[in-house]
Amino acid sequence: MELSNYLNAMRDASGVPFYPVVFQFFLVLTFALHIMFVNFLLGGVVVSIWARIKATPNMLRLSKALARAATINASLAMVLGVAPLLFVQVIYDPFWYTANSMSAYWAMAFLLILATAFTASYVFYLSGSEKAPGALGWAVFALLALLAAGGVIHALSVEQLLPQMWKSWLISGNEVNAFGKSLYAFEWHRFLHFMAPSLIMAGVYLMLYAWFFQGRKDYNKGYLEETAQMGADLALYATGAQIVIGLWWLFSVPMEFAFYKNPFFLVGAGIGAAFFLFLLTARANPIKNAPITALIAFLTIFFMSYAREALRMVYTGKAGYSIFDYKLSLDWGSTVLFLGTFVMGLIIMAYPILVAVQVAKNGKESNNEGLARLATALPVVWFLVVAGLGIVISLKNGTLF
Amino acid sequence: MYPFWEVPVWTSGIFIALIATFHILPCHLATGAFWFNVFVERKALNENRPGLLDFIQRYTLMILVFCFVYGSLTGVGIWFAATVASPRSISALIHNYVWGWATEWVFFILEIVAIYVYYYTLNRVSPKTHMRIGWIYAWSAWISMVIITGILAFMLSSDSWIRTGGFFDGFFNSTYWPQLFARTALMLGIAGLYAIISASGMQDSRDRNEVIRLASIWGMAGMVFGGIFSAWFLYKMPESAKSLSLSGGLPYLKNMLYAAVVCYGLVFLYMLVAGFLRPQLAGKTLGILMLVVLFLGIGAGEGFREGVRRPYIISQFMYGNQIISADVPAKAIKSEKELFKNGFLAHIYFVPDSLRTITPENEKAAGHIIARHQCGNCHTFDAGGRMRALPALFTKLGMTSKDDIAAWMDAMEGYAYMPPFLGSEEEKQAVAAFLASKMQ
Repeated sequence: MELSNYLNAMRDASGVPFYPVVFQFFLVLTFALHIMFVNFLLGGVVVSIWARIKATPNMLRLSKALARAATINASLAMVLGVAPLLFVQVIYDPFWYTANSMSAYWAMAFLLILATAFTASYVFYLSGSEKAPGALGWAVFALLALLAAGGVIHALSVEQLLPQMWKSWLISGNEVNAFGKSLYAFEWHRFLHFMAPSLIMAGVYLMLYAWFFQGRKDYNKGYLEETAQMGADLALYATGAQIVIGLWWLFSVPMEFAFYKNPFFLVGAGIGAAFFLFLLTARANPIKNAPITALIAFLTIFFMSYAREALRMVYTGKAGYSIFDYKLSLDWGSTVLFLGTFVMGLIIMAYPILVAVQVAKNGKESNNEGLARLATALPVVWFLVVAGLGIVISLKNGTLF
Repeated sequence: MYPFWEVPVWTSGIFIALIATFHILPCHLATGAFWFNVFVERKALNENRPGLLDFIQRYTLMILVFCFVYGSLTGVGIWFAATVASPRSISALIHNYVWGWATEWVFFILEIVAIYVYYYTLNRVSPKTHMRIGWIYAWSAWISMVIITGILAFMLSSDSWIRTGGFFDGFFNSTYWPQLFARTALMLGIAGLYAIISASGMQDSRDRNEVIRLASIWGMAGMVFGGIFSAWFLYKMPESAKSLSLSGGLPYLKNMLYAAVVCYGLVFLYMLVAGFLRPQLAGKTLGILMLVVLFLGIGAGEGFREGVRRPYIISQFMYGNQIISADVPAKAIKSEKELFKNGFLAHIYFVPDSLRTITPENEKAAGHIIARHQCGNCHTFDAGGRMRALPALFTKLGMTSKDDIAAWMDAMEGYAYMPPFLGSEEEKQAVAAFLASKMQ
């Protein structure tokens, strides 16, 4: 059996319920959101440790703030990660399932390592108090565990890109290795290319933090300025390092792919370069420039995520696989259900976020009565509509009683 | 077929079982807790009892850490475990219900945003605003259950989906409503137990005892209604499932049902005695012990639900060994039974070239590969295996030779809970040779 035959035979027999390009878009979008919070988490822990070691009053305060943020970022990173995990299984299922099955114990270990990391970050946060900072050992432990988790998921991702190697990894003589104990691929440049942005985003986070709390009386100006400056410097130097690592990675991609000419890559790299140049000027007034810095940073992440997806298409295309050849079993009903819920979710979400922002920024909420009513009513309406639909379908199919 | 993951002694299914069972604890807490939370908060406001807000803070922190670290992780963990243990089945579910899961994901995001804002704005926003955020959480969390129940129920009773291939036909199947009602009631029961544990650490004894008593009422009501709706679920199960379990086709399934009832009964008794009648008896140690009992009960209940699906992993559509068992014309899906009958090895990519042609010299090695894919999801191959070890089963049946085992494989289609062997005669002999070699 040829590799391309295997890959195409392993596509799910049910096909995909909507156009693959839509799944691809959501895969990239949700991955970008996920990786942004992963960056906040990882980079935040690094800076928290560094600030804890520096131990000036300002730095201890910052360390505590980042320790608290780490717990929230961990939850958001994890929940946001569910969506790309789902969509990758829809359009790249043969790659996803093969790689994970080959290294099954590591796929399981990934979760255990993450649980350890999140527990350690919580203990670090909760072991601190108003006056005393958290126990440093837990933060270091959390960082090491996060790096290990990143290493595992990285290796599983690279395995997916090298299907030509799969047989040689698993088959030896008359034996097929079915014990899932090994990781088979690791690329330092690619790994570092995913880790370095954590420092960039931690820098952006610090700038945003200072910008957000600048109106609060309980945050002194010196503290916020020091934080923002540190953030801008960190973002700039880490972006410089990221450009070097990116070039290293680019030269490692097979020349036959001509990836340096790929339009997705060119757009992503262009925005990344613009981000670097912007940071050079943003350092002069990091608090004022924080929102625009964050916006460009997210755009860079989003377009680099598209470049990553474009590279995956090149790799998988070389193996004779294209997501656009997937059998289409159009299902408008469930598609409308998701898209409608997605839009509704954004409206509902706006309310608690607005309240949180108002309280954090001004110490009190403003009048949001209209949005409040809408946000609390929409889930009930959603349920009534879906339950009504369910009852009608159950009656029609004779499955209710 | 995908590469097979062979887990000695227990089979790979043990990972799904452990993770999924554990996941029920935080996920049912996440879905059920806030109805009680908002109820207590309203009481605190209406009766001007700020002491009760102490409970809200404790309970919410517990939900945050337990549900949104370990609950979320184990939720993702089920996917990872299914990915490596039964990739084709999770793939089939995802390709049919991706938008259902994506819809559920929207509610996950709402949950997480709402609970953090709820926790950090306690006493910092107006009570009305705070309760509204609590309501958003409660509804979002419960709706995530409304969605996932459809997919879980589909695995047991796919009903008319086999004919139509329609998302909603499979979703609103014959066991959907009983499962939704039973899970909704039980989530309140589970939330009640957690609330008792959480409230037992409150300082003010009057507030403490009152919250514990209220939580026990919620918990007991949840258990009672959970029992009633579970009975409805048993009534609505497919006939094949009833025959396997209630009629004694596989006696262990009935035992699991009894075990679940006993565990839930113990928890109910605890709530009655140490919650409702003598709330001062409630404490963390005993409460956590009851949580362990509940964990065992959930394990037994979920094990029962999984067990009655046999021989399918997805009702009527896919066998436990991930082979498609039926046509679904609406999706142009063909059963793989006929295809594999003529030769199974040819459809496995990860086979050494030296085993493509079966010979007397290599038949055990070839048989091992086929046995992994056709038997290994449910059975272990070594004598010391703890999960339906084939050597032990064959010894019990008095079939230890290659010929005996091959004859038994011929007869497998007669067992209602076993998928048939699908392969050529030569491949069957190879599997028999491999299994016979494990008898020594």
